[in-house]
Amino acid sequence: MAASFFAMASPCEVLLETRDLGLARAAGRAAADEAWRIEAKFSRYRRDSVVTAINGSGGTPVAVDAETGALLDFAKHCYQLSDGRFDVTSGVLRRCWRFDGSDRLPTATAIAAVMPFIGFDKITWNPPFVTVPTGMELDFGGIGKEYAVDRVLAAVTATSGGAVLVNFGGDLAANRPPADGPWRVGIERPGTDREAVLLLELERGALATSGDTHRFLLRDGVRYGHIMDVRTGWPVVDAPRSVTVAAGTCIEAGMLATFAMLNGAGAESFLDQQGTRYWCLRA
Amino acid sequence: MQLKKKSPTPLRLGLMAASCALLGSPGAEAQSVPDGEQPLLIDTGLLYYKEDQGRVQTIEPVVRLKKDYGDEHVLGVTLTYDSLTGGSPNGAIPAKKVQTFATPSGTSLKPVSGVPQTYTTPSGQVVAALAKITLYSIQPGQLPLDPNFHDRRIAADVSWAQPIATNTNASIAGHLSNELDFDSAAVNGALSHDFNGKNTTVSAGLNAELDAVKPIGGAPVGGTDYTQLLKGGNKSKDVLGGLLGVTQVMSRHWVAQLNYSYDKSNGYLTDPYKIVSVVDGTGAETGYRFENRPGNRTRQSAYFGNKVYIAGNVLDVSYRRSKDDWGIQSNTIDGRLHIDLGNDIYLEPHARWYHQGAADFYHLYLNQADPLPTYLSADPRLADFKATTFGVKFGVGFSGNTELSLRVEQYQQKPTDTSSALAGLQGLDLNPGLKTIIVQLGWRYDY
Amino acid sequence: MRLARLVGLACAAGVLMTMTGCGTLGVKPWQRDLLAKKEMALDANPLDAAIDDHIYFSKEAASGGRGFGGGGCGCN
Repeated sequence: MAASFFAMASPCEVLLETRDLGLARAAGRAAADEAWRIEAKFSRYRRDSVVTAINGSGGTPVAVDAETGALLDFAKHCYQLSDGRFDVTSGVLRRCWRFDGSDRLPTATAIAAVMPFIGFDKITWNPPFVTVPTGMELDFGGIGKEYAVDRVLAAVTATSGGAVLVNFGGDLAANRPPADGPWRVGIERPGTDREAVLLLELERGALATSGDTHRFLLRDGVRYGHIMDVRTGWPVVDAPRSVTVAAGTCIEAGMLATFAMLNGAGAESFLDQQGTRYWCLRA
Repeated sequence: MQLKKKSPTPLRLGLMAASCALLGSPGAEAQSVPDGEQPLLIDTGLLYYKEDQGRVQTIEPVVRLKKDYGDEHVLGVTLTYDSLTGGSPNGAIPAKKVQTFATPSGTSLKPVSGVPQTYTTPSGQVVAALAKITLYSIQPGQLPLDPNFHDRRIAADVSWAQPIATNTNASIAGHLSNELDFDSAAVNGALSHDFNGKNTTVSAGLNAELDAVKPIGGAPVGGTDYTQLLKGGNKSKDVLGGLLGVTQVMSRHWVAQLNYSYDKSNGYLTDPYKIVSVVDGTGAETGYRFENRPGNRTRQSAYFGNKVYIAGNVLDVSYRRSKDDWGIQSNTIDGRLHIDLGNDIYLEPHARWYHQGAADFYHLYLNQADPLPTYLSADPRLADFKATTFGVKFGVGFSGNTELSLRVEQYQQKPTDTSSALAGLQGLDLNPGLKTIIVQLGWRYDY
Repeated sequence: MRLARLVGLACAAGVLMTMTGCGTLGVKPWQRDLLAKKEMALDANPLDAAIDDHIYFSKEAASGGRGFGGGGCGCN
């Protein structure tokens, strides 16, 4: 049985091993509620979200709840593990970079003007207070969807008790396989002619995909993806077109995929070293 | 190395811990359906080795299997078959007249027709050749080679490696081999520990070997007169060795390894088939003595190896220095450059330079007037020489998991001590050195 | 004598390398991309190495160094 809805700019579905329509409907509603809750709370685009409140605080300390604090802790750990390459304050780069498929690259001056407002080390995070200086922004867009997948899986598992697969547009997680065999999933890779849909069999765990198929700039034959190297203010050089990673949780898989993209040409070697299963696609 | 499962890197562990903290519970490790096959590596090689001047020639197929059971539990099996033919120097030097020798190393039990059944010693005494022995004659000026040299060797090696604690691996290996006149059994164990973010690995190992030496015709009494053919029975020897090593990642492009090894051999270390020429003051040979080496040997060596990534290619360069209590010191420099030509094709040129000093008891020949030394050998492998190897390996990969390769190398030995001032030996090259060609075909299949 | 000194130096260097390794030498997990290539493994070609070791063991007085070569043979 499958329950579908739309959240976080993706088609979402929850697959359950059950014949009970009532149970399926209840699980689907619980899933959608949790996904919309997370979207409302952490979306940059919503006026009533926690993130908007923090970004508009003008340098004053803001008290945050336990869940936001946990996400900030996670963002800080990833910032440290990646030697500063994964940075949730890098969203301000969208002020000069617009990935609309055109050939308009920002000037060096424009990038230089924005760089002082990037750097997780410039944020003060003393639980439960976070202080974001004026001009800087927090953006959980890189981890929100995967976090939602893991939370929705936990919520549905708690209520339904059977085999569950949660799939938010390619970022997915399962608690265990159905009785008749593993989950069969297809990861779409639009815009490529080979391996257009990656077919995989999953028993349990999670898959997350990072890619730049839709958001890019093309100039003089060089393609600039939207994964940014915060040290230079420019996109990462030679990143794969798409990378799908398997891990225990969706948040971990998503972060490994992001780290791989940040590694550019060394994406495959990095993932080999981590010992995870992965599927990399290069143009 | 592309093992599917390995112990998690610090980054992975950090990420798992951070995810766990965020979600409040660890996820189950992602399990996709296994492919149905366990990773298996099959590596085979066919070696053809040929020395010049009708000397040793060998064909050697080798098969190596490596199976990864996951979590760094690895089983390795290697099988080797070696078939040798051709002539092997018996240690005597060329002379200006015909020399006749008896071959205890041959397997022929019948005298070869056309060869004399009596043997006249250089002093003129006529001795009946024993029916079991085949005789061979060497022309003037030629290096005495025993042309009946023939051996076949089979060997099996098994090894097992697995982690025994966090960042600590252990391995154990056994070896058995059998030749027509030699059996060997060996076992070794090693421990290694990674730390410093897996940038540094220290390892220590111990090796024990027990050999049975069963010379055809029996082991001669060392140092005695060759013509008397005084023989004993079978012999044995054992070797105990230890190795200490440290591997260090020096930079993103360079990993280095430093090893120190020590080993001690005890028992019958003499070559039972080799003799030493005895000459008089004019250089005419007066007889031969069986060689005699000490009953023990202690060796030490220091090895420094490197792998360096340079512009898409990998350079392997190493230096080894060795010394033992037989007085032999040696230096080796070895370099290999793996050049990636794209499309899974590579070229790997190789050069090696080696120099060893002679053993204390090495003599090109003995003077009859001098007292007989306790230990003596004229084996060219214990002499002072320089050796070089030049070669190239060419490899092609198919379907991502198969590789065919061809390796062609030339190995040359140039001894320093090759002539004598004595009248009877003027103009003779007493130790001509060695030139060999090595050709190896390889086939490797991954998973 | 000279070798003893060199060996002593090698040991000291090894100990020094392991001690100062903490923080000065090495790479972050991030930077292991090139080191992961199979040709960069110190034992990248074990079959070739075993064949070479056997050839040089039977033709020269020195042997080994890189690791344990397995058992002996009657060729030396």
